[in-house]
Amino acid sequence: MMRRWPLLLTMLAASPAAAQPAVTSLAPEKVSVSVFRDPDRDEGGEISPDWLEGFALISETRTIDLPAGEATVRFEGVAEGMIAVSAIVTGLPGGVVQKNRDAALLSPASLLDGSLGNRVHIRRTSHATGRITEEEAIIRSGPAGAVVLQTAAGYESLRCTGIPETIVYGGVPPGLTAKPTLSVTTRSPAATRATVTLTYLSTGFDWASHYVARVREDGRTLDLFAWLTVANSNGESFADAGLAAIAGTLNQVSDFEELADRPRTPPLHLRCFPIGSGRYGVPLSPPPPPAPPSFAMEDGMENIVVTGSRMQRAEMMSPVAVVASQEDLGDLKLYRVPIPVTVAANAQKQVALLVKDRVPFRTIYRMRLDLGDEGKAMMPEMLLRMHNKQADGLGLPLPSGQAVAFERVGDRQLLVGEGAMRDHAVGEKVDLVIGESSQVRIDVENHVPPKNGRRDYRVTVTNANARAADVEIGFLIDDHDGLDSRIRKLPRRDGLLSWSVRVPANGSKTFDYSVKAADQAR
Amino acid sequence: MRALSRLCLPLIVAAAWIPAAAAAQDPTKGNAQGDLAVTIYNGGQSLVQDIRQIAFPAGRTRQEFPDVSAQIRPQTVSFAAANTAIVEQNFDYDLLSPNALMQKAVGETVTLLRTNPATGAETRERAKVLAVNGGVVLQIGPRIEILRDDGMPVRVIFDKIPPNLRAKPTLSITLDSDRAGTRPATLSYLTNGLGWAADYVSLYDEKAGTIDVQGWVTLTNNTGTTFDNARTLLVAGSPSGGGAASPRYRPRPQPPGNLRRAGTETAPREQLGDYYLYPLAERTTIANAQTKQVSFLDVSGVPAQKIYEFTVRSFDTMTEPASAASVIKFNTSAKGGGLGDALPAGTVRFYQRDLRGDPQFIGENQIGHTPMGSELGLATGQAFDVKVQATVVERERVSPRVTRSSMRYTLTNARAQPVTLDLLQRGLDWYWDETRIVAESHKSERLDSDGTRWRVELPANGEATITATFETRH
Repeated sequence: MMRRWPLLLTMLAASPAAAQPAVTSLAPEKVSVSVFRDPDRDEGGEISPDWLEGFALISETRTIDLPAGEATVRFEGVAEGMIAVSAIVTGLPGGVVQKNRDAALLSPASLLDGSLGNRVHIRRTSHATGRITEEEAIIRSGPAGAVVLQTAAGYESLRCTGIPETIVYGGVPPGLTAKPTLSVTTRSPAATRATVTLTYLSTGFDWASHYVARVREDGRTLDLFAWLTVANSNGESFADAGLAAIAGTLNQVSDFEELADRPRTPPLHLRCFPIGSGRYGVPLSPPPPPAPPSFAMEDGMENIVVTGSRMQRAEMMSPVAVVASQEDLGDLKLYRVPIPVTVAANAQKQVALLVKDRVPFRTIYRMRLDLGDEGKAMMPEMLLRMHNKQADGLGLPLPSGQAVAFERVGDRQLLVGEGAMRDHAVGEKVDLVIGESSQVRIDVENHVPPKNGRRDYRVTVTNANARAADVEIGFLIDDHDGLDSRIRKLPRRDGLLSWSVRVPANGSKTFDYSVKAADQAR
Repeated sequence: MRALSRLCLPLIVAAAWIPAAAAAQDPTKGNAQGDLAVTIYNGGQSLVQDIRQIAFPAGRTRQEFPDVSAQIRPQTVSFAAANTAIVEQNFDYDLLSPNALMQKAVGETVTLLRTNPATGAETRERAKVLAVNGGVVLQIGPRIEILRDDGMPVRVIFDKIPPNLRAKPTLSITLDSDRAGTRPATLSYLTNGLGWAADYVSLYDEKAGTIDVQGWVTLTNNTGTTFDNARTLLVAGSPSGGGAASPRYRPRPQPPGNLRRAGTETAPREQLGDYYLYPLAERTTIANAQTKQVSFLDVSGVPAQKIYEFTVRSFDTMTEPASAASVIKFNTSAKGGGLGDALPAGTVRFYQRDLRGDPQFIGENQIGHTPMGSELGLATGQAFDVKVQATVVERERVSPRVTRSSMRYTLTNARAQPVTLDLLQRGLDWYWDETRIVAESHKSERLDSDGTRWRVELPANGEATITATFETRH
């Protein structure tokens, strides 16, 4: 069904009268991407590839041929999630006169709106003969309440007739673009080729760290390994990019999603006068669905490609060839992937973040009690305790992330626990909570009748394991009135008065204390 | 397919027809805007002045003003032209649509053009619209019929458009003119949907202890209208009588805000009342749905100092250490060591160079309208390496109305440089409780009735402990 247009309908008819030469920069030559975590994500929270709430700082180097005098440089091939107000353009010899982000988008509704009062063609096709007729018309109404046209015959409405008919436009009204576009106006002293750097923030990125702790057979050391997982939900790929990830918490006050949002394009609803016995309008085509949010899954999004082969540590594993290098960036930590990598569109990438073998650790069973808490066979938290010091086998910044622990049983590595870790600076104690124990149990009983407002408690820890258990019980105490000396003299751990005890294999330990009710304590 | 494409060949283009000429200020003609001046305030409100050359006839006329902002506040319109007197001012928003056209055609005669679905033959007849109530009832000669009740194709052709149906909401002014002739007419009005804020790019050099600040005004146009070639003036302020909220209850004191000390200097910029004015150097077109940025400030080498701050809000034990805020402090004074300008409200984004020399984003914060000579302290984020842990070592009642709390603060610095940390204890004056410090390991500075501050120099890769005993009277 090929047809050729008469020449009078060329696109030139209504093309905008360009006041100044426009230069379009299609793609960068060199790009670097620094990814920031979602500042609101919980410590150790995971990223969801279809809802990335972090962001990235993208820095692109582009070469542009500039004419002398005033010119507009349009940047294409930028990330969809670009936050235009954050854009910085450097390297223009004439400087930046103004930056514009134009977001009046070309759509059926804006085409109609922009053609108000213009001459268009109405094309009708006969159902019976297939004959196509065209006649000139002028659009007399805005897009809000469907179309009224002025034709040679008089005034008519579009799509109320039951005849297949449509408007054929002579051109695109000025100022409408396919995508929101960033452009800068510059004034060059002479025609020149310039290398400019475009730096901007963009939504649709996120990263996380995933720790894998493999307990060695000695049971006293572990191999700590962490993945750096970077995800990009933008439609743009960044080939051979310098990739960095930034750990730490930075302040965010503006709503990046809102700043980067594609403007909502109103769908064009064509409504008529009532037709037949009371039906308003002819729903010739179902109304277009509302514009999908920019984070919506697009075709092929399900196929998340995980590049970077999964490497194994400890005895049976291949060594890791590339590990991110770490540097300080002010009060943040910057992890740089030492080789150029491709940050693909709608994809997730993993590289090694850090590797530390033979880190000494202890397993601790920990419980926190309010004064007067009672309970039977309570399950304490199980945690792996390390010290983030060089002397203790670690001594490097540990950004927050998820953690899994494996232990070797026979010739297999089995999962023993999973937890989350906060940011740990060098020198801090690392308590990695990996679950609860059902082998070590804690009873707290008020074991004698109260006397003079004094209550006596007994804490009993039982150990069903064939190895000794290190147990810490911390008391969450606000007021120190009425405490007896047994609890007062306990040392502090994590700010809490704590009873630390080693419970022998298949054994138990008890701790007694008493509290005087507050009103009697005075 | 071949047969079909042959059928498509007869392509008829009725090109000879030319529509009737429209009125003088026809909305269907190009842009009717005249000499535009736009004054934009921060709150999304703007004043538009539009000077149009209008050919007034003598006597009473009605002038329409197309291409005013689609978000015009019609009650704010004022009009001025020599030798004219205003009779009335109208804002009509009865919009043209097929349904409105049919409703207004009740009692009128329209043309029906029927197409035979089998042969394609067209028949034409005149019909009178009797009623449009959930369906169009027509009278065709002696017959009464419902429009398109049989679903057959029918074109309805109206003879005219009623004068009050418009493509867009239209402002019109009826006036008496003493004499005929073309002369300038000034139309001014307020509109919503056009606002501005400032965006600052601030590059922090930690070694030199300086920041380079570039200020951009960001104006956004969501009015639905493009303002062509307008003289643009930005006003740093949003004139509206919102009124300051009176503190009815004692508000809980907040951690130190961004404006640490309000300045007392006047910036060398034009002022309107208490607001600074930022005129754009040249005329500009503010397109619909556009965000436009123009530079207004470029200062480099402003001395800036980084300090760490941590606020303990109550007397509680923390089981884990928490990060201190890293705060960049600078002043906006013109007298040595300052930025030397008043700053309109906006977002300040901080960047710092990494080891390769590339600028990296390190956090952002917001400022309000800041007079020149002010001191600003903007938190960029939480320090990874500088942490504080507070512990209640002892809390006892010394008498029924007096409680004594011994606090210990452990401050750690994992950075390779010494840092300055401001530790603030709040909650000293809460309703009827009053608290005094009985003993402390370092001398603190009482900031106000509710808070006290220790300024501690932490050595590189070192730590410090502060202890203090507070006595609270209930």
